[in-house]
Amino acid sequence: MSLQRWSWNIAAALFPFAVLLVAWQLITVAKLVPPNFLPTPHEVFVAWLDVIKDGSYVANIGASLVRLGVGFAVSTILGIVLGVLMGLHRGIADFFQPLASFFNALSGIAWAPLAITWFGLGPAAVTFIIWNSIFFLVLFNTLVGVKAVPMIYENAVLTLGGNRWQVIAHVLLPGALPSMITGLRMGMGFGWRALIVAEMIAASSGLGFMIFDARYIQRPDLILVGIVTIGLIWLATDRLLLVPLERWTIERWGLVSKLQ
Amino acid sequence: MPASEPTTKIATRAFRLRRWLWRLARASGAFLILIAIWALLSRFADLPDYFLPSPLAVAASMGDLVAKGVLTAHIHASLLHLLIAALIGIAVAVPLGLAIGLNRYAAGFFYPLFNFFQSISGIAWTPLLIIWFGFSELTIIVVVNYTILFPVVFNTMIGARTVPRTYIHAVRTLGGSRWRVIRDVIVPGALPHIVTGVRLGLAYGWRALIAAEMLVAADGLGYMIFSAQATHLTSRIMVGMIIIGLLWMFIDQFLLRPLEEATIQRWGMVHR
Repeated sequence: MSLQRWSWNIAAALFPFAVLLVAWQLITVAKLVPPNFLPTPHEVFVAWLDVIKDGSYVANIGASLVRLGVGFAVSTILGIVLGVLMGLHRGIADFFQPLASFFNALSGIAWAPLAITWFGLGPAAVTFIIWNSIFFLVLFNTLVGVKAVPMIYENAVLTLGGNRWQVIAHVLLPGALPSMITGLRMGMGFGWRALIVAEMIAASSGLGFMIFDARYIQRPDLILVGIVTIGLIWLATDRLLLVPLERWTIERWGLVSKLQ
Repeated sequence: MPASEPTTKIATRAFRLRRWLWRLARASGAFLILIAIWALLSRFADLPDYFLPSPLAVAASMGDLVAKGVLTAHIHASLLHLLIAALIGIAVAVPLGLAIGLNRYAAGFFYPLFNFFQSISGIAWTPLLIIWFGFSELTIIVVVNYTILFPVVFNTMIGARTVPRTYIHAVRTLGGSRWRVIRDVIVPGALPHIVTGVRLGLAYGWRALIAAEMLVAADGLGYMIFSAQATHLTSRIMVGMIIIGLLWMFIDQFLLRPLEEATIQRWGMVHR
């Protein structure tokens, strides 16, 4: 894509936010809402610089990302491994599907009170909540993906003399890949949301805590700093990590048509 | 006589009953194993009293809560929050999504905005909303509404934009006005996407509802399990969790999924 085209796309994408910013400034200047309800963009910017300067901003983001990273890594690995193992045998997959479905319906945050009872307030409870948000989703999606691989491919490998491992490696894993990646992407989204909520309820550090605490100390400008940060981090994660991952694995192997 | 035996065998009540019981056993088998493990753990593991109440204790707690009407009240509150937020959300989001989807410039303008704000869960806005609306049910409903809005608008937008242009041209060629185009082509054509968006929105909305009820602490299932934690009523927590899971399974399985499938089947859309 030419540089001109590329920069035009960026400008078009940023234009709505510029309009939003202007509208925000106008609302605060025209005093349409009480002053402590909505800080001006400038105040939010200053607050942002402040928390960067005193180091708490980076510390909080770091804490959040570490918890998310650990929770995500453990859940996805466990989810995929168990999902594939369960999916190998149709009978076992059918047997466990209702259970996986139920726990999938039980949102991660519903585990929060139990997590606090078992682990107390702190990073352990938060990571547990994240784990619950992601694990069952990935497990369910992997299960469904493996089950959906047409038997004919399995039979083909077996007919050609392959053993169980080769069936797994060459048929089941690639065949379940779109479903797995969808599960991963959704799981990341759910995990990120669950992280913020969990930190509001059960932690004393991290982005969610920063936002929640800002309400106690009557700093709506810090709340907005946190909110914008959440959006930016998710945007970065999605664009720079997940979409390329999807593109690289699924589209490369021609399993689905080009995604948006 | 031997030829007719197989059909009469399948038709007998006894056989159908056995088959139904067998299916029930298969569906619930995993749950029973889980409950068995749970019961053993709570009985024999060396844990504090409040850590893992036995399944019997949880069942007793559920009975108690139902008898006192507490559980019914909280379920009622939660479902009411969800319903109000969903109705407002759909009423606002569908027209908005259609309007945006139909206009190329509007779509290009709003798409980045929506993409960005979609990633900021409604819950992240809760502290700000508490400042604005206080610890009230209004805050809960606004949070859930915000959460539902985005998937519905997004999917409606996509639905409106993927209606094949030939249909639009057909109606215009036959002399139809713009309104007829919207009513007879765009809305039915976008309907499968809209329903998918509603289903997705409600899934997110349900999760956000529980979380919002925990933070705002007014009433509802989220509040019930969160306050139970403060008083170490672990069996009450587990009752709440089971109800939350079952309720959503019920809503999704028996309300939303059939609705989605019926819409897609009726309007004959192929790709999703």
